[in-house]
Amino acid sequence: MSKVAFSSWGRQIVDNRQGGDAEVPVAKKKLPVTFDGEKQIAALMGWDGLILNDPDVDVVAMAAEYARRVQEDFCCAKCSPGKKGTRVMQDTLDRIVAGQGLESDLETIENIAELLKNCKCTLCATSAVPIVDTVKHFREDYLTYIKGTPRPGKKTDYKVKLTAPCQDKCPAHIDIPAYIEAIKDRQFSEALSIIRENMPLPAVCGRVCPHPCETACRRANVDSPVNIMVLKRTASDYEWKHNLTPPTQPKPRKDKKIAIVGAGPAGLAAAYYLALEGYPCTIYESLPEGFGGGMIAVGIPAYRMPRHILQRDIDIISAMGVEIVYDTHVGRDISLQELKDKFDAVLLAPGAHKSKPMGVEGEKEGYQGFLAGGIEFLREAYMGKPTGMGKKVCVVGGGNTAIDCVRVALREGADEAILLYRRTRKEMPADSWEIDGAEEEGVQFQFLILPKKIVVDDQRRVIGVECVRMELGEPDDSGRRRPQPVEGSEFVVECDTLIPAIGQDPELSFITDDTGIGITKWNTVVTKFVPLKNAEGRDLNDPMGNPLSRILITDMDGVFASGDAEIGPLTVVACVGNAHRAARVIQRWLEEGEAYLTDDDFHEDILSHLGVYDKNEQVSWLDAVDRFHQAEIHGRERAAKGNYNEVELGYKDSIAVQEAERCLRCYRVSMIAVQ
Amino acid sequence: MVNLTIDGKSTSVPKGTTILEAARQLDIHIPTLCWLKKISTTGACRICAVEIEGVERPMTACNTPVKEGIQVTTQSPALTKTRKQIMELILLNHPLDCPVCDAGGECHLQDTCYELGVNRQEFKAEDVNPEAIDRWPLIQQVPSRCILCEKCTKVCHELIGADALFVNDKGDRAFIDKRVENCVYCGNCVAACPTGTMISKPFKFKARPWELKKTASICTLCPSHCEIDIQVKNNQVYRFTSNDDTTHNQGTLCIGGFFGHDYINSKKRLTTPQVGREKASWNEALNRVVTEIERVKEQHGALAVAGLSSPRLSNEENYLFQKLFRAAIGSNNIDTEARFGALRGLRALNKGLGLCGASNRVEVIGKADAILVFGADPSAEAPLVDWQIQNAVRRGDGQLILATMRHTHLTQFASSHLTYLPGSEIALAKGLARLLLDRGLLDDAELARTVTNIDELKADLADVDLNAIAATTGLSLASLEQAADILGTAKNVVIILGADILKSSYGISKSAVIANLAVLSGALTPQGGIFPLDDKGNSQGVLDLGVYPESLPGYQAYATSKAKFEKAWNCQLPGRGLDAEGILQEIEAGKIKFLYLAATNPATFANSSRWLKALAKLETLVVQDIFPNAVTELATVILPGTTFAEKNASYTSLDHQVRKTTRALASVGDSRADGEIFSELLGRLTATATGYDQNAILEEIRGLTDLYADADFNTRQWNALGSLPYEVPEQSLKYQLITVSDHADGLQLLLGKSMSHFGTTTTFATAVAEVEGTGLLQISPGDADQAGVKNGDTVQLTSSSGTLTGQIAISPRLPQGIVFAPVHFPALGAAALIPDGDNRIAVSLTKV
Repeated sequence: MSKVAFSSWGRQIVDNRQGGDAEVPVAKKKLPVTFDGEKQIAALMGWDGLILNDPDVDVVAMAAEYARRVQEDFCCAKCSPGKKGTRVMQDTLDRIVAGQGLESDLETIENIAELLKNCKCTLCATSAVPIVDTVKHFREDYLTYIKGTPRPGKKTDYKVKLTAPCQDKCPAHIDIPAYIEAIKDRQFSEALSIIRENMPLPAVCGRVCPHPCETACRRANVDSPVNIMVLKRTASDYEWKHNLTPPTQPKPRKDKKIAIVGAGPAGLAAAYYLALEGYPCTIYESLPEGFGGGMIAVGIPAYRMPRHILQRDIDIISAMGVEIVYDTHVGRDISLQELKDKFDAVLLAPGAHKSKPMGVEGEKEGYQGFLAGGIEFLREAYMGKPTGMGKKVCVVGGGNTAIDCVRVALREGADEAILLYRRTRKEMPADSWEIDGAEEEGVQFQFLILPKKIVVDDQRRVIGVECVRMELGEPDDSGRRRPQPVEGSEFVVECDTLIPAIGQDPELSFITDDTGIGITKWNTVVTKFVPLKNAEGRDLNDPMGNPLSRILITDMDGVFASGDAEIGPLTVVACVGNAHRAARVIQRWLEEGEAYLTDDDFHEDILSHLGVYDKNEQVSWLDAVDRFHQAEIHGRERAAKGNYNEVELGYKDSIAVQEAERCLRCYRVSMIAVQ
Repeated sequence: MVNLTIDGKSTSVPKGTTILEAARQLDIHIPTLCWLKKISTTGACRICAVEIEGVERPMTACNTPVKEGIQVTTQSPALTKTRKQIMELILLNHPLDCPVCDAGGECHLQDTCYELGVNRQEFKAEDVNPEAIDRWPLIQQVPSRCILCEKCTKVCHELIGADALFVNDKGDRAFIDKRVENCVYCGNCVAACPTGTMISKPFKFKARPWELKKTASICTLCPSHCEIDIQVKNNQVYRFTSNDDTTHNQGTLCIGGFFGHDYINSKKRLTTPQVGREKASWNEALNRVVTEIERVKEQHGALAVAGLSSPRLSNEENYLFQKLFRAAIGSNNIDTEARFGALRGLRALNKGLGLCGASNRVEVIGKADAILVFGADPSAEAPLVDWQIQNAVRRGDGQLILATMRHTHLTQFASSHLTYLPGSEIALAKGLARLLLDRGLLDDAELARTVTNIDELKADLADVDLNAIAATTGLSLASLEQAADILGTAKNVVIILGADILKSSYGISKSAVIANLAVLSGALTPQGGIFPLDDKGNSQGVLDLGVYPESLPGYQAYATSKAKFEKAWNCQLPGRGLDAEGILQEIEAGKIKFLYLAATNPATFANSSRWLKALAKLETLVVQDIFPNAVTELATVILPGTTFAEKNASYTSLDHQVRKTTRALASVGDSRADGEIFSELLGRLTATATGYDQNAILEEIRGLTDLYADADFNTRQWNALGSLPYEVPEQSLKYQLITVSDHADGLQLLLGKSMSHFGTTTTFATAVAEVEGTGLLQISPGDADQAGVKNGDTVQLTSSSGTLTGQIAISPRLPQGIVFAPVHFPALGAAALIPDGDNRIAVSLTKV
């Protein structure tokens, strides 16, 4: 079914009901044909209109159901037009469907829709959008109901989900508008409870999250996005700054036990949600006690993530009954098979802690001053071990790890820290504020430069790196212009330390062939998935290229995978979201014997693929208050040797409340008719 | 400043001002329903929406800050239509029970409908008509009348910090629900409700608002002195209300103010004088008092006569009381219960800081950067102070340090919790002082300028052993350092000390080390302050007016100022008098034969059994009060006094504000205002004119003292006493060297104030009694476990001075090692176990 019968999505009317085969790109490319691999998507109703794949869907009944769900399940009732207006909407549509409607009711619907534009937030206001579309474009269908002769529509099931652009974009799907509203109401503890429903490491993601949510903030269409991350930090810091006890109360303890490999964000998050459900979890962590947290601990320096605050988040999880066995390397100290035998389920979340090789001449020679990799350097620096670093340090790479390395190098006492990157600043994958931070601390940047060969002295000590100049050519798949070497531009950058930081791989040698667990060509764990295809027959994938709707169970029964080792190296928040799903799948598997995704999981995936945020939307709002920035320590002294004090300082509560007041609370309801 | 135009009028307002505020400054009226000045904006009703040129959608004026250059239109056909239609939606299925609705006559919804000309209903929807919620004590909720403006939830959460009310459920079913266990029954939700949704059960169906006569007055249950309107019909008080815009408490009241008034018309009031057990006429009763005074004086001398007055009485009454005793009877054996509290604070603050109480107005608390609450429970002792603290630490970015033995309502808002071991107050204060020094947080130049004995200060701090202090207080050094850092780095510092300091043994020394902390932390500035709290309504007035033997009115030392008053009063004044402790001893020794108890009940004093035993030895006991109690049982003569609501009088607040009460109803029954009784006795004893004349008394006070020079009682603009805020003159502060130390061993019984009750008075208020009807012994879960007792079990507490039996309530607010007993219930007998002048004693606990 590649043809759409009708679409008003994106406010573009395409009507093929009377013939014609005009295309609706979003329906063709972004929407899967099936909801869950089996049931066909007959129609989608939402904030941006209606997509009708199947012309036999009873649009009037669907609109009535949509109005009912908005009013009864989602309307917060915190503004008068919303609370009462959606009720009038629901009752008017109900009357029509019951055969008691009048033609004037159609005017009422449009009148209410107008009034709903005055709502406090967008939930009720956007809910009127598809309903009015149906009144405008399916008037005949309404009139047949009103005249008492409705045509029998196809029987469809409705799947409904509340979402918001930010919440959709957040890989952990935190209910961002809800916690921001709680902060606005000075309910900091409630805000934190809301955050914890999807994010058990709030102090962490309140500090070091790349906050994709803010790229989907509608406030940006007015002035600048809401500072969602720092508001999360505010809620999280409020708790420990007031010595409040976290209110988490696990359910009564259950019998079945889960082993988790790795105490990183994925392992901790899965343990948190399984422990909440009453499941005893044991996490095996290869690093010693005091270094829990995985990549958050060893990959994110303390000036970005103070250790006592990370440790508090870990301690809260431990206090829920999660046992963390430190200093235990799965595959060396205990085998995967032993875990499988001892526990009812095993979750693999080992992370990605091995630096990728750089491919320069001499990197395998074991030269003094050529370090194993960025992530190893950060880990050793953090653990207080000798890093082998000298005084003039070159770091190769353009991601956050590379930036962390140069900034840590300064704090470890380097006289000079130089970052070498083959493209320009604009193309750097590192977060712009991290690059700014490094610059402020005195890091030198060399752009459009590619290391070719390590230069050493007769003692096999690094004395420099031979590089070649690059220029930008045509854009590649990622849309970034491809760098090309400039012939004959070779030169040497002097240094005594060279650190490659161009990416990490999971270390999966503990997964032996006999387990049957597949490993992808990107060195990640293969997990089962539900294939979803769009109308063009293409597989739908997530932005990392993985199948969109993964069940997160491996090919070995009872063994699941999550985190960087499953997704590919990404972010804390992505690992947490992925682990939360893994925890739910594990619970289903333990309780029902089957690992599967629910309608809500599918709906979540479908919406994230469809996209809830529209950067081109004209948002009408007075831009009276621009984004508040958190306080920050400035000056080079903040990166002085041994100074790992936190650089960013968060908000005062009163500023947080003002920033929260900028939120437009962009809730919206999606309803998918399936058959 | 931001420039904008509203309806064509140009204006310039500070950044952050909302369009609504800017419009009001221009006298442009924008209708609102959910807006309430004292809480954060909600934006629920949407009827304040205005048009802004260039912005397609209407913006709500209440919560949209101004922007440079905007042009705002508040009235247009489109806006009128939208407002009316939104009002129609709000009114959809609103019940038509206005005639019997409690909000009748003061319904903001009705007023707004009228204003907007909403006279039809074009929408229809099924009427879900939810049931009224009747299961909550004191407050009924009628959801069908609710417009979900959230004023109630916001006053509850933002002002009171109770967080009891919340919006429950979705869509049209949504309603205001309550976490009943969080409710403190302050009634502010009822006061804030614009419709008849939140209803006071005691008031429901009792009166129509327009029938009630309003008298502007103040509530004198505590020293906050919230301004109220007493609403009366047929000489019966129906309610107290308070105006958000014109009162210093911004219309906010506590349980005492909102629900605590029906003791005024209680059937239990003493309404007839009694002589012996018999009812008597006023003439008979007063004659008996006079003849008894004359008889005792003749037989035993004037020193055999003594009297205790009360912080429940007004300034004028206390002035008359001391004059009656000193000038007419010739005895300086007078005192009040301030002896066991407020007077201790006065001693320490006067000696060290030259103060006669608080150093500043309570409003500065609300803007402080750091607040140290030391041994106080402001939520119970003076709720206005609690609200100001919440202003500082919740609306502002101030930080609260709670140095208390037990957790309180404010615990949730504190950044630093110094939950110290009983008896370690002096050590804790010294430890903080030393840490201010060690951490370089002292302002040496200012100390050198103001402190007379800087060398002693330095030497004293040098002697402090922080490890010993950590051990004594039971606190970690890290937590002490954190508190010192908050205190030492803040610009505007406020220090509050309360009952656990003032009412305990070594209260003067404890107050003195806290006064030292005020010096060291720089609290004595126009933007900071030190505030001693005494929970009784007019303790400050009692001290001001010299109702204690050491001082004449206006803090004039008795010995040196005697001559001045002798001249003014045209009499010979007696020499030194006895304080409360001395009076008690002399009664026991059989030397004092006559005692006059004016509105005070020694059965609530520490070691109450000793007092009651002593009172039985008196030849004559005159009791003037409003309710029968253990001492009226012993009285020779009972004189029924009145409540503040029946008086024209003035009272002095905890921050020296003198405000007046206005007689809102005639004295109940045959009772008489206490001032009239004193005037009458004064007249009879001195054979001069009788009759209570407030202005004449105030004139007399002004003539003899520096008090009330600025007070103008003819307007509602009460004026300050003295020159607040306080600025420290050079070389005017003394660092007080304290060498004593208190201690505590074993389980401690601690006597204190509950959040619901005020003295014993409110135990006669039926509504408050519904919330807390009997005195329960609060104990920690740990101690309960150890003693093997559950909630509601009866236990026996035994101290060196006696035994009591009571029911327990397990409370997580108490740390292990403390049993807390509310002071309001003499029947519980907790005061009997406590040693003289103290608030605490070691007890053993056994299950009965």
